[in-house]
Amino acid sequence: MAALTLDGVSKRYGDFQAVQDLSFTVRKGAICGFLGPNGAGKTSSIRMILGLQPTTSGRIEILGASDGRKVRDRIGFLPEERGLYKKMTPVDAIAFFGSLKGLSTSEGKRRARAMLEAQGLGASRNKQMKELSKGMAQKVQLIASVVHRPEFVILDEPFSGLDPVNQQGLETVIRDLAANGATVLFSTHVMQHAERLCDQVVLMARGRKAFDGTVAEARATSRRFIELEGDIAAEAVADLPGVTGVEVVSERGGVRVLKGSLASGVAGQETLKTAFLSGLDVRRFELKEPTLHDAFIDLTGDNPDQDQSVARPATSLEIAR
Amino acid sequence: MNRILLIARREFLAYARTVGFWLSLLAFPLFAVLGGAVPLLVRGAETERAVVLIEEGAEATGLAAAVRNALDADIERRATRAREAAEQAAASTGAPPGSAESALASISRPRMRVVSAPTDLAASLPGPAQDALLRRYLTDETPKAERLDAVVFLSRTEGVPGARVWAARATDDTVEDFVRSALRDANREAALREAGIDAAVVERADAFRPEIGVFSPRSAGGGEVSFKDRLPGIIGLAFSFILWSLIITGASILLNSVMEEKSNKILEVLLSSASATEILTGKVLGVAMLTLSVLVVWGGIGSFGLIAAAPSVAADVGSVLMANGLIFYFAAYIVGGYLMYAVLFAAIGAFCETPRDAQTLMGPIMMVLVVPILVVQMALVNPDAPLVRFLSWVPFFTPFLMSARAPSGPPAVEIAGTMAGMFAVALLMVWLAGRAFRAGALSDVKLSWKSFGAAMGGGGR
Repeated sequence: MAALTLDGVSKRYGDFQAVQDLSFTVRKGAICGFLGPNGAGKTSSIRMILGLQPTTSGRIEILGASDGRKVRDRIGFLPEERGLYKKMTPVDAIAFFGSLKGLSTSEGKRRARAMLEAQGLGASRNKQMKELSKGMAQKVQLIASVVHRPEFVILDEPFSGLDPVNQQGLETVIRDLAANGATVLFSTHVMQHAERLCDQVVLMARGRKAFDGTVAEARATSRRFIELEGDIAAEAVADLPGVTGVEVVSERGGVRVLKGSLASGVAGQETLKTAFLSGLDVRRFELKEPTLHDAFIDLTGDNPDQDQSVARPATSLEIAR
Repeated sequence: MNRILLIARREFLAYARTVGFWLSLLAFPLFAVLGGAVPLLVRGAETERAVVLIEEGAEATGLAAAVRNALDADIERRATRAREAAEQAAASTGAPPGSAESALASISRPRMRVVSAPTDLAASLPGPAQDALLRRYLTDETPKAERLDAVVFLSRTEGVPGARVWAARATDDTVEDFVRSALRDANREAALREAGIDAAVVERADAFRPEIGVFSPRSAGGGEVSFKDRLPGIIGLAFSFILWSLIITGASILLNSVMEEKSNKILEVLLSSASATEILTGKVLGVAMLTLSVLVVWGGIGSFGLIAAAPSVAADVGSVLMANGLIFYFAAYIVGGYLMYAVLFAAIGAFCETPRDAQTLMGPIMMVLVVPILVVQMALVNPDAPLVRFLSWVPFFTPFLMSARAPSGPPAVEIAGTMAGMFAVALLMVWLAGRAFRAGALSDVKLSWKSFGAAMGGGGR
């Protein structure tokens, strides 16, 4: 059963087309990665899903409602740019945002204490927010966005600004949310997180959807490659069966690391067998699966780490709803 | 509790829990008390200056006596004033006569007394030796009990009196001023005598103060004007100033609060939990509660102080406020004025992350806001002056100018018309500024007249 459906959704700001004809569905309880570089249209799409901004055209249905605002108490949202009231304590801040979602203040405080404790922030629960480190403050904000136990959680670039330890902690939190029945949609331009977490990925580039499916399906659209190390000429690798292109990764003292792209549908075993049989000086070999990052580049022709944002004119202001 | 009230409560508590709020809450009454008490305390703490008068030469004979006589007259005048003030205070507060007299007498005592010149100083002649003596008597080279505060050498050159004043403190001109006044009187008396005019006759003529009764058909009794008749104008002016400062303070709090939420990226989180209208309404309501609290505390302290110090004046103030529903006009002007400015400032705040960002719009707005403060003083003297009446119709000035004018009973059509205009513009501002707030909340566009105008006009959609 679908928790979220976007059908032909587009968004224009004046002359700027932020999102164009976006359609996808996220099933209940799934973790969906909404992937693409900065400026690809992810935040605009999220704002439309939440009902903060109207669509220019198309239809959105979330938790059975045609407007995110109608079910805002059942949604948890962590925006890309984060912040909390500096003079509030974590407990008060979490309880306040929980109360806006329908929790009583006392229940909000009770849950806040328990969740802060679980995240290792028990000792900081009564400090002012301005006294917390950036990582701690981000954890507090994440707790504030899910304290009301939402059915749908939207996290906009949740991993940005976190150190590797906290990134791993956040991955656990996302898995726990899904394990407890929540549907999670999170945007990121770092593909590794999506690769580890997602049941489904939606790849965005320049306001358009480039792919929608599982991580495995995304990878399958991309080509595998072999990596060979030894005193081998690039031309010799290019002549191997199934190889469509060669790249010299490194070279030291006559020993090269060569990366050969395999044609679509080529498994690679035959290529390796030919390499050995033809007497190439192969000292190390590896048959590599494409990453989501590789798939993104193949599917969109863009690098997900490249900024695609465009400055909007002063008169193309968007009215929040 | 609904979202508007939750946001309003957070807004109220965010400020009410700060030390700064309580300091500013108590600062106004404290400064009002200090403003009245400090000059009295300073004067009460002043010591009498010990002054020596020395006549230089036979031509100066009589000048010291003239200064002494002027001093005696000054002492008598001060005592009379203190007695009259004490009687007035007793009459207005109901306290027994004499209770305030001693306090007033202590702060009305003479600022100088004439003492005999030390023998060596009296015998000295002008020159370095005399200057050295003077320096000794005027500084701590001389024991405190014998030390002088000033030495005045009186002289007469070609019949014109003059003086050299040596003062212990270079900045203290009390003795200089007093001697100048005394010599001017002495010279005047001599000139009159020379012209054959009896100085006593001139003095009596000068002392004459005609009894003038002021009557107006608008006075309470339909005739003679009393303090009670002037009271409404004073109350209107005071209310206008208080209203101005409260509205500006409240609107500025709102501006800073929204700016903080914008710069800390809280607005977007709030928008996912409540609508922009709920956020704006909650914030405006929260700061309104804060402003109202200040008004209640200031009003409470003021009322308590007035009732304790002058119950009859307090009763008059009460009757003025209740007469013709004046207090309800004031309440309407608070609501209308606050709404207009609060939503405007909140909308500006939604575009800004720092006070510097807000300067583009706030500078001109604050300059316009000075206008009613300048005009409102004119309204006290002449509430029906054409400029005051004209500007009363400008909705942004209506709350301040009509507050000052309302007690004088302007035509009903002006009250109704200006109030309707004010509320119409207040509602329009709520709508327009609401749009701008919603646009600014999710925008990273820099604030300018163009972007703000576009936001109010519909965000270019």
